[in-house]
Parts: sequence; structure tokens; C-alpha cells
Amino acid sequence: MKLAIVLAVVAVMVVLRLVRAGLLVWLAAWWVGTYAVLRYGFVTPIPASALHIFMAITALSLFAYATSSRERMRATYEPVLAFASESRFTLPLALVAASIPGVVAWSVYQGLQQPLQPPYFGRTVHPSPPAEITSRGEKVDLARAANPFRNLEKTDVQAFRRHVENGRRVYYRNCFFCHGDDLGGAGMYAHGLDPVPANFLDSGVLPMFQESFFFWRIAKGGPGMPDEGAPGDSAMPEWERMLSNEEMWDVILFLYDDAGYRPRALEAVGAEVAH
Amino acid sequence: MPPISRRHEASSWVTLALALAALPCFAAPAPDLGTDQQRQAGKPLYDRHCSQCHGEKGDGLGVAAPFLSPKPRDFTSGKFKIRTTPSGALPTTQDLKAIIRAGMPYTAMPGWPQFNDRQLTDVAYYVKSFAADFADPDRQPEPIQSPPVPAISGESIGRGKKLYEELGCARCHGETGRSDGVAAPTLTDDWGYLIRSADLTRRWTFRGGPTRQEIFRAFSTGLNGTPMPSFVDALTVEQRWDLADFVYSLSPRDSPEYATLLVAKKVARELDLAEGAKLFEEAEPAYFPVIGQIMQPGRAFHPSCNGIAVRAVYNETDIAFELRWNDMRAEVTGKNGPELAVAAAEDEGDEPAAAPPAAEGGGGWGDAEAAAPAAEPAAAPADVWGEGEAGAAASAAVPQSEFSDAVAIQFPAEKSLTIRKPYFVFGDKGNAVNLWFVDLAKPEPALYVGRGSDSLEPLGPRDLTVTRGYDKGEWTVVFKRRLRSQGEVTFEEQGFLPIAFSVWDGLAGERGNKRGLTNWWTVYLSPDEKPSLVREMAKWGGLAFALEVVFIGWARRRAHNSAGS
Repeated sequence: MKLAIVLAVVAVMVVLRLVRAGLLVWLAAWWVGTYAVLRYGFVTPIPASALHIFMAITALSLFAYATSSRERMRATYEPVLAFASESRFTLPLALVAASIPGVVAWSVYQGLQQPLQPPYFGRTVHPSPPAEITSRGEKVDLARAANPFRNLEKTDVQAFRRHVENGRRVYYRNCFFCHGDDLGGAGMYAHGLDPVPANFLDSGVLPMFQESFFFWRIAKGGPGMPDEGAPGDSAMPEWERMLSNEEMWDVILFLYDDAGYRPRALEAVGAEVAH
Repeated sequence: MPPISRRHEASSWVTLALALAALPCFAAPAPDLGTDQQRQAGKPLYDRHCSQCHGEKGDGLGVAAPFLSPKPRDFTSGKFKIRTTPSGALPTTQDLKAIIRAGMPYTAMPGWPQFNDRQLTDVAYYVKSFAADFADPDRQPEPIQSPPVPAISGESIGRGKKLYEELGCARCHGETGRSDGVAAPTLTDDWGYLIRSADLTRRWTFRGGPTRQEIFRAFSTGLNGTPMPSFVDALTVEQRWDLADFVYSLSPRDSPEYATLLVAKKVARELDLAEGAKLFEEAEPAYFPVIGQIMQPGRAFHPSCNGIAVRAVYNETDIAFELRWNDMRAEVTGKNGPELAVAAAEDEGDEPAAAPPAAEGGGGWGDAEAAAPAAEPAAAPADVWGEGEAGAAASAAVPQSEFSDAVAIQFPAEKSLTIRKPYFVFGDKGNAVNLWFVDLAKPEPALYVGRGSDSLEPLGPRDLTVTRGYDKGEWTVVFKRRLRSQGEVTFEEQGFLPIAFSVWDGLAGERGNKRGLTNWWTVYLSPDEKPSLVREMAKWGGLAFALEVVFIGWARRRAHNSAGS
């Protein structure tokens, strides 16, 4: 939160209270104040679409309040009517009447200045996996499967390191062209890709999923995604065509090891409870 | 200037003599190798982030090396391309830190801005420990002074152009800088690997950076380990700036400014391909990034092409696309096709190419895996500057490839402006693509329906027409087609369509899946009449004003009535 913005809005409200502003002014102040806080009050800006929804809700609430009694309605529209009809307001009315078409024309101008954009289809970045896949003839139950080499971490550390090192070798011969040297998703071909390669340093990627999820995404690649993942656009290969299952599990071990994350624990499935 | 007293003068002479005596000491500063502690701190960083390519022993033979081109630096050689020191000299610690931080664009060497200064220093000292030369007191590098940057002008560019011609830069870099010189296909580095001369029309790909200062530095220092020499003795500082200005002027802009949208321009006239570039002069070019086809077997880890410029025009019945890309040499014999098979062995980086590279289709200019050291040892820089005939002979020594150059445009076969497009690598089973393909060794283009790269069905040329030309390192290919064809992609005014491209370089043995390609991008057929800005503004502004008048009239009437009653 940017405190200065919030305090400024509150200060304006206090001043309005002290000068006993009319209802119309209050309604305008609430709308503008809400907009100011939502639009400028946050360090991380909220999305424009969300802002529009919030402002529409605010406008509706203010409208409901203004029309909730005859007195309030009158207090709202009478100043407007007076402004439009009384002769003492003729000059300001003329100014306002002249400026509104100007503002409209300006916003039309702004709208037409926007560069042409190709149509955008929001895609699900991490779509849901199927229940089961077959990779190189081997069935893998995605809800239950653990990395077959994960337990070596406790039982045979040396063997585990060998798998991690093999994963490193696989990564730097296949994956780093897109996903980058540091796993950050900025490989030498990332500039030519849309959607962009996954960033494994992002805390929203590796720790959020079980290892079987990545096994699915690696084995079946872009083309293996459901339609909401935009399978025709993704450059992620179907690695089962080029890597063995062991190599794919190894590269997953390497990703977690190098990025310093732990995979999400298996969830309880049916009667089985993972401890 | 005030007169100098005799005594003062004498003392200055003594000082000067002392300074001269001391000079060798200053000229050879003590080796800057860092402390044991620094090198030890650099090792884990190196092992984790650098060794995959450069090797644990710094010999450039890391696990990724077989898949890379240009090859990772062999630190044991002490030869570094980007330095501030004279040709053949070692780099300074600062040079190493700078290149690690910045990386080398369009290679597998990324920048490491996430390293702090201490980490960069540690890694640089560790890298220095791989080559004994760094400890040699006689080989301590001294940076070449970088003079202040003069202003660039039409005159300096003109003088630079003259130098470019006189020095024979075109032999490697080509007459217009597109890396298409006669000697270009023959260039190797000191390790015998084929390397490309820089494409001077794309300065964003320069390994040492795109600014005038960085180009000037390349002329002063040369690029060690490559045929690029230093001009520090051959040219004065002013001349080097002139040359740098000319090279700088060859690129159209600072950055590639990659497009995501191609706007096809509507024209009223017949689309006559004989007009050539004139046909497209009203159309806005879009420059798309080309990357390696590394999604499916038959991979091309480092395709020759890294960008394609496209323009499009259409009228009531037809549409034409102009494709331009740079190519070191036109391969117009042999064959090519999107369905040509690539041997599985070519996809494996592990095995060194069994046959000498020249025996393969690509004349050695294959992909990383084929780019084992060429049979010939590296040409010394002096040879590269030999007689023109020698260079031509050298180029002829790289035989025509068995494969020709080729290019293709790809569209979804059915209108597919949804989230579910056909797979961008030649479509998939349920979603076909149309491929407009031309093998540049053949007069006729060919249409294909693609349902995956293993399922390409040739339809023959149908009514697809094509013109092509190769000029000074640049291919220009124009495709023309009806807007509507039965059972194929349909173009509609004000319509958006996915579009993708593939480029094959025959010299590098690219064919079938082994090629450069693009993601899906978008083409838009813009209407001939755009809505007039003034008319739109007047329309909406006028409407607002009319509403105001109605409201004020109503309010006044109401007030008048209530006052009257």
C-alpha cells in the first residue's frame, strides 16, 4: 500500500465532512477516492480488468445509496438540474457543455491510437494432467506416482547424486536452449517463443507440483496438453520421443536440486494416505 | 607558458630518466591472479554454472559442448575473443568480468547479471587458473587505451565504406555486410571448428556488443582465436572510428524489434510479381525471430537463419507474401523438402561425426553435431587476407551441398483463430496445416497438407506462384496465392490468421525437420480504408454534445414549468 495516497483520500473526505458537502459531492468523492486508492494506492498494480469490475460495483452501490430514499434522490439530482437550468450558472454550464464533447473526442482519439493487437486467448499455464499416461510403453499413474529415484536421497546418497548429475547432463544437452543456463526460462531461443519457457526459479512452478506433474509435461510436451493449455503453440517437445523415462525422472531430480526447492508432497488419494 | 628555471629543468630530466628506467616494471604489471581464497570461492560457482559447457577442467569440453555452435571457450588456450588488450594478448580480469556479466548474444553464453561484483571477480580468477599463461610475468596484458568517442557523420561512414572496400572486409563479411563473402563458408577458428563471420547488418548479434565503442574495440583488439584480425597497426584511431561508423550504419536499427503481427496491406491494383520489391513498398515489414527446430527428432540446434523479414499485400482476389532472410551462400542445386528424413545419428551430439564433415550433405556446415573440427587446420589471419583468387578457390573447396535452400509459409488449413491451433511444427493429427513450400533449386513451388512432420501430403503446385532472387547474401522469395481456395486456408479482409515460417539452409545440410522455424505469429489483412480519425472523433463528440443539449433543454423546461405552476 502506498500510504500517502490513502491518507490523501482520507484527508479529502475529512475536509468534505467539515465543510458539510452535499450528497452529490459525497457520491463523486467516494467514486473518485475509491478509484484513486485502487489505481494508485497499491505498490503492485491491480489488473485493469479487476479495476473495472471494482469501479462498476462502486458505481452501482453509490447509485443504490442515492436512490434509496426520496430525499437522497432529490439531494442528488437537484443540484444537477439547478446547474443546468439556473441563469447564474450559464457561464460554467457553457464551459462544461463545451468540454464534455472534447473529452469524448480525446478518448476516441486515444482509443484509435492503440497499436493493432493480435487476438489474445488466455491460456492455462499449468493445465490439469490426465489421471494416467503411457510413456515409452510404461504406464504412469500421475496421481500416485512418485519419482522412482527420490527415495535414494535417504537410502543411497551416492546413487542419488549420480541421478542428479545425469539429470544435469540431460538438462544441458536438451533443455537449456529454452529454459536457460540458470533455469530462469531465458535460454538462447526464449526470444522466439510464445508462450515463453517455464522459469524454474519461480516459486510458483517447482514447489507447487508433484514430480509426476513434470513427468507428464516433459514426456508429453506441448502437444500433450488439453486445449486450454494452447497445445499447438507450445514449443515444449514430447520428450518421450528423445529421452528415456529414467532420463526424464533424473532431469526432474536435477531441477529440484539445482533450484533448491522440494516437490509438493503426494496428496491422499482414495483410501491411501501418504505419510 | 612560463619559462622554466634551469634547476627545475634539470630535475625534470632526472625524473624522466628515472621514469624511463622504471618503465619495464610498469609495462609488465604483476600477474593478477587473485588470492587462493578468491579462486576457491570461484570454483563452486564455476562448477555449478559454467562447467556444463566449458568443462570442469576449463577445456571447453563440457557435456553441452557437442550441441553448441559457436563452441564454448577453451580456457586452457588463453585465447579470448572479447578483450580490451592487443591482438593475441590475454584479457584483463576486468575483461573477463565484463563478458561474464554481459554474455554473448545469439550464442549459448548468457549474461550473468545476477552475479555480484565479488562473485564475478572470484569466477574470473578461477577461469584464469586454467591457463598457465596468466601467471607468466612476460604475458601480462595492458589494455589498449580507448579514445573519446567522436561524433558519427555521413562523411565518417563514407570514409569507413572506402576502408571496408580497400581492406577486403567483404571477403568474409560480404559486400553489404551480410556475412556472405567468398571466404565465409571456409572460415574456421583456431580449433578447426567452422565459424561464421559476423552478419554486419544485424548488429544486435555482435558477440562483443552493438555500440560504436564496442565495434571500435573489435577493430583495435581483433577477436583472438578467429580469423578476425586487429587493425591497431594498419589503421589510425580515426580510420578505425570511420570503419566502426560504417559497420554501425549497416544495421537498420539497434535491436531486432521482433514483430508478433504482420499487417497485409490492401492495394487496388493487380499483384504483378514482376514488380518485385515495388509491389510491397506500401506494406509495413515484420521481422520474426527464427529459432532451431529442437522440438522433434532431426533437431537443428543452431540453424543458419536467425530472423526473417516479411511483407504482405493483397487485393480483391489474391495475396502475396515477400520473405527475406540472409544466407551465406545460395544453394540452388540438389534437393530439399519438408518431408526429407534426417538420420537419427545426426541428432546425437555424443558421437563425433563418423565421416569427415565434408562428406556429409552440408559440406561441414552441418549443425553442432556435424561440426567436428574441419580437416584443414585453421587458416592463419594472414592467409585470409591473401589474394582474391585464393579466397574464391577456398570457397569452391566447400562443395555445393547435396541439399538446396528452401523456405515455407505455414497456415492452419481450417480457419483456426482459437486457443487450439494446429501444432506449430507442421500440424497434428486432428489439425492440419497448409504449407507453401519452395525448394529454391526447383522452378515450381509445392503445396503440402501437414498433419505432423511425419505426415506431410504433397498437393503439387496448384495455383501457388513464386518468384525468387538471391542478391549479396539475401534471399527474397515471393509467394502469391488466391484469397480463397477450395479446402485450404481462406483469407478475409479484416481477418486475423496464424502464420509461421520455416527456413532451410542447404549449405548446413538443413532439410526436413532439421531447419530454422518460427512459432505461430499472426497476419492481419488490414482494410484499404481505415476509419478516419477526425470523423470518428467528430461523431462521438457530436453525439455527446447532442445529449447535453437534450438534457439541458429538458432541465430548463422542467424548471420553467415548475416555476410557472
